[in-house]
Amino acid sequence: MATKVFMEALSPTMEEGRLVKWLKNEGDTVAKGDILAEVETDKAVMELTARGDGVLRARLAAEGDTRPVGELLAVIGAADENIDALLKKAPAAAVTPSEPSSPGRAPSPVAPPASADRAPAAPPSPPSSPPTAAPAVAPESGNGGERPRSSPLARRLASERGLDLGQLHGSGPGGRVIRRDIEAAVAAAPASAAQTSGAPAARTAPPAPRIAAAGDYEDVPLTLIRKTIARRLAESNGPIPTFFLTADFDLTSVRELRTRMIALGDEFKVSYNDILLKAIATALSQHPEVNAHWLGDSIRRNHRVHLGMAVAVEDGLITPIIADADKKRISEIARESRELAKRARERKLAPEEYTGATSTVSNLGMFGIDELTAIINPPEVAIFAVGAVGDVPVVVDGALAVRTRVRITMSCDHRAVDGATGARFMQTLRRLIENPLMLVF
Amino acid sequence: MREMSVAATSVAAARDVSPALAPMHVVHLGLVPYERALELQRAVARARISGAIPHDVLLLLEHPPVVTLGRSSKAQHLVASPALLETRGVELFEAERGGDVTFHGPGQLVGYPIVNLREHRQDLHWYLRQVEAVLMHALEGIGIPSERSEGRTGVWTNGRKIASIGVHARDWVTWHGFALNVHTDLSYFDLIVPCGLSGVTMTSVARELGADAPAMDAVAERVAASFGTVFARAPGLLDPGSLSTMLALP
Repeated sequence: MATKVFMEALSPTMEEGRLVKWLKNEGDTVAKGDILAEVETDKAVMELTARGDGVLRARLAAEGDTRPVGELLAVIGAADENIDALLKKAPAAAVTPSEPSSPGRAPSPVAPPASADRAPAAPPSPPSSPPTAAPAVAPESGNGGERPRSSPLARRLASERGLDLGQLHGSGPGGRVIRRDIEAAVAAAPASAAQTSGAPAARTAPPAPRIAAAGDYEDVPLTLIRKTIARRLAESNGPIPTFFLTADFDLTSVRELRTRMIALGDEFKVSYNDILLKAIATALSQHPEVNAHWLGDSIRRNHRVHLGMAVAVEDGLITPIIADADKKRISEIARESRELAKRARERKLAPEEYTGATSTVSNLGMFGIDELTAIINPPEVAIFAVGAVGDVPVVVDGALAVRTRVRITMSCDHRAVDGATGARFMQTLRRLIENPLMLVF
Repeated sequence: MREMSVAATSVAAARDVSPALAPMHVVHLGLVPYERALELQRAVARARISGAIPHDVLLLLEHPPVVTLGRSSKAQHLVASPALLETRGVELFEAERGGDVTFHGPGQLVGYPIVNLREHRQDLHWYLRQVEAVLMHALEGIGIPSERSEGRTGVWTNGRKIASIGVHARDWVTWHGFALNVHTDLSYFDLIVPCGLSGVTMTSVARELGADAPAMDAVAERVAASFGTVFARAPGLLDPGSLSTMLALP
């Protein structure tokens, strides 16, 4: 059976590509996986590989030609096969979604590439499971040749994109194929383009866990006002215009919690610092605008909380990371922070254990420091400095009382975090620290 | 020496803690002839495709003077005759990357990211923009504001071009990459029309910052760190010998 070769989408935003080089001549024998040609979009060249065995019977574009995505570029067939019908039908359906476009996904106005879409759905699974193999070549006819109902706009878009309406699932009223179905099909094209390497099952999963996936964060482009704030403040205050927010937190409830846990046995012993780390991580998960990275031309709001903790080592300091700290139990944070600190002092940390924090905590309480300001670790946009936990006189309901308190100072990168944003974060943090049962929730 | 042995043990230790980011290897290669670097890139890309190397790799190096022609090169964009190139000791190569003609030479930081886009996004436009973001982020760190120019891939500062980009992909694994002028002798660019864009003035970190320009090593370190930030990977150094071992090269 003949195999058709189409102009593939190298990007969801690619509408046409330029065939820059043929690597096979008409009449050459080709095997699945062979490189047939090179296609260029922007300043990137991608190899076009054969998805079937046979003889390269026809080349339908010349070097230097620009062709729309989905257009037929070549036909691979048996040496004696009659391919006239295929050539006549060009351009034919090329873009087959690798899975039926589900109504939940179709309406997204800017459909992300299929891979990015899929990754966050199942974070713990290995990343390499390719989309369930779709036929690389669209079947000649679908739905028994019955024409589905469709809007005029959808018909026009489908014909421009070389899509077969019969291949599409309609999400409009009464199963009508509408514009968004076409857009979803076009966006899904890279998923089928990904099948170039042949047997998907042969791909082995990388052994290391790939935790950072495209869905783990969103990049927010800078608005004009944000750009202006960034520039003006940096002019005034060095490359990272920092301001500080300090607040006293009442630890009465935290102390009670700790005392009761210790009474249950030594294995339930956790430090004030462990509880504060958990509280800060939880607050960060609720404030992605603080759990962010400054990237120069955008702000990355991280959806996962990787909390760095500054550890003093012999000749300086290092900030190992508690990954997904907001999702860990206090006991896990206690164990992990102790272990990371120990290995940091022994200089046994691997780069991935101290790179990629989304925010950082520095604690000098054990040195008897009441209050401190910490310096932001770029590209992070905030750092939390924790002072000593101690009993101090405070006014409660108009009378003097002794309470256990801690003072925390948040340093904020004003390019990304405004005063009110930081203050709202501190409010959340206060709610969590002063009602520590919320950390168990 | 102490650093090395620590690094070796930490890799083993890293397996039983969950890292925040997947690692990537950064390899500083020094001065490498174009053809040798091309062979190395292809070998790393093959290993990345087969899974023999499970993480992304960033090769950082410099080339002896060489003019390379991309897939979209037009003859008139090579201003100098082959004979003139020879007298200036400049080699000429045809490369399978995207883009037009460009120049590489000492003082220019060349980066070849071998990245598996299946583990990021299967989107070459996105990838080009990410590589630009890496360079812009690194340049910002050394006090050079830079920007993109719509429709003209690369990185620009004050209307002058400071970095060029051209990539190639097979099975969504990339090679080729970027060239950032640090202390490049910019007169070499007179031999070509850079990237086929007439009227483009090239610049370098040294030209922008004068005596304050950081050394090549410092710029390379920044670029590696920015690459980690933008691509959400944890960069770790890998020495060229270990890379050869991973590739089972002699």
